[in-house]
Amino acid sequence: MSAQKPLELILARNLLSSISTPAFLVGEEGTLLFYNEAAGALVGRRFEESGTMSAQEWTTEFGPFDANDQPMPYDEVPITKKLRQGRPAHGTFRICVAGGHHEDVHVSAIPIVGNDAASGAIVIFWPLAEEQA
Amino acid sequence: MKLKIWGARGSVPAPGPETMHYGGNTSCVEVTLSDGSTLILDAGTGIRNLGLALPRVERPIHILLTHLHLDHIQGLMFFAPLFRPESEIIVWGPASPEASLRERIGRYISAPLAPVEVRELPALVSFREAEPLEWRLGAARIRAQSVNHRGPTLGYRIDDGDTSLCYIPDHEPALGAPLAELEDEWISGFELAHDASMLIHDCQYTDTEYPRHLGWGHSPMGDALEFGHRTGARRLLLFHHDPLHSDDFLDSLSGDVAERWAVLGGSPEHVELATERREIEIASVPAAASHP
Repeated sequence: MSAQKPLELILARNLLSSISTPAFLVGEEGTLLFYNEAAGALVGRRFEESGTMSAQEWTTEFGPFDANDQPMPYDEVPITKKLRQGRPAHGTFRICVAGGHHEDVHVSAIPIVGNDAASGAIVIFWPLAEEQA
Repeated sequence: MKLKIWGARGSVPAPGPETMHYGGNTSCVEVTLSDGSTLILDAGTGIRNLGLALPRVERPIHILLTHLHLDHIQGLMFFAPLFRPESEIIVWGPASPEASLRERIGRYISAPLAPVEVRELPALVSFREAEPLEWRLGAARIRAQSVNHRGPTLGYRIDDGDTSLCYIPDHEPALGAPLAELEDEWISGFELAHDASMLIHDCQYTDTEYPRHLGWGHSPMGDALEFGHRTGARRLLLFHHDPLHSDDFLDSLSGDVAERWAVLGGSPEHVELATERREIEIASVPAAASHP
């Protein structure tokens, strides 16, 4: 049996399951613990298909990508750096969306802290295309 | 390990002729460990009668609070050992970023809600915030873990030799996602309850009542049974009865409970609705005997 997830992550997952805004739930070391149906539609792959992914796996597949369309290592993503300082972060990034092409999205990330220790983050996506529509 | 139920009612005391059998006192369970020492789970109004029945002993009395809602602490101020100078009482409870456990309990045991202050209690009283870790009390290993309810709330697991008791009286593990859709590691309280010899679990509502109380932090019968089944609990004691549920109503539910537990693969004699003053010896039951 895998170790029990902290309650704050369980509640965060339940929240993400219930909203229609695309969102990832990222755990310690950047593991992608869960993403909701809206995020699955955005990236073109349901969570039920992918399951949990390591930081390297999901950044390689979904991005973010740099100006040369190369995946950025998780540790070098500016948002990662801010989250590790326990701070929220916001930015615009290029990711791989359904259909396989790259598209810019706004990303907002909020650290989750429980029992005085950070246990993960909620990462919310807002496609620019919807904003411009 | 033995337990005695001193209060199994949820939310508010419900005394009266219509609740004489299951009882009207709120949450309190006495646990007697194999070495003879006593732990008390929650301090609802049931703890008043327990305090009167407890023999005067030299050992410290440990009270493990799941959370500080009134139905889990209301009896504390009427717990006789608190007024005996020779008593030592250690109160365990959830931490909060807002204030210490002592300060938060002190809001109840202080003016204008009470005629005494914590510092005026004759007994030697101390407060310890239960870390989500393990520690030993007498013969037992105690584990506390945050569970899904409103506000900081713990569930407890007590392992004593080859028997274990899991106590999660206020719990809504299926809020936001049906248990059937969740992997074990994503179910609140799963690890605490896993393979417990006895699970005492919230069952405040019927499945019909629950939609009107979604998010209130309590379980309907179906989720309580499903949680007990998923975690492999050998025996299940359904707890925290709604104050509106009379003896007749609870009697009518107990037949359903046994039938539905059997459908899930459990033995009907291993599930029951908690009854005040009921004493239970917790034995080690092989998994096959409870869940074929």
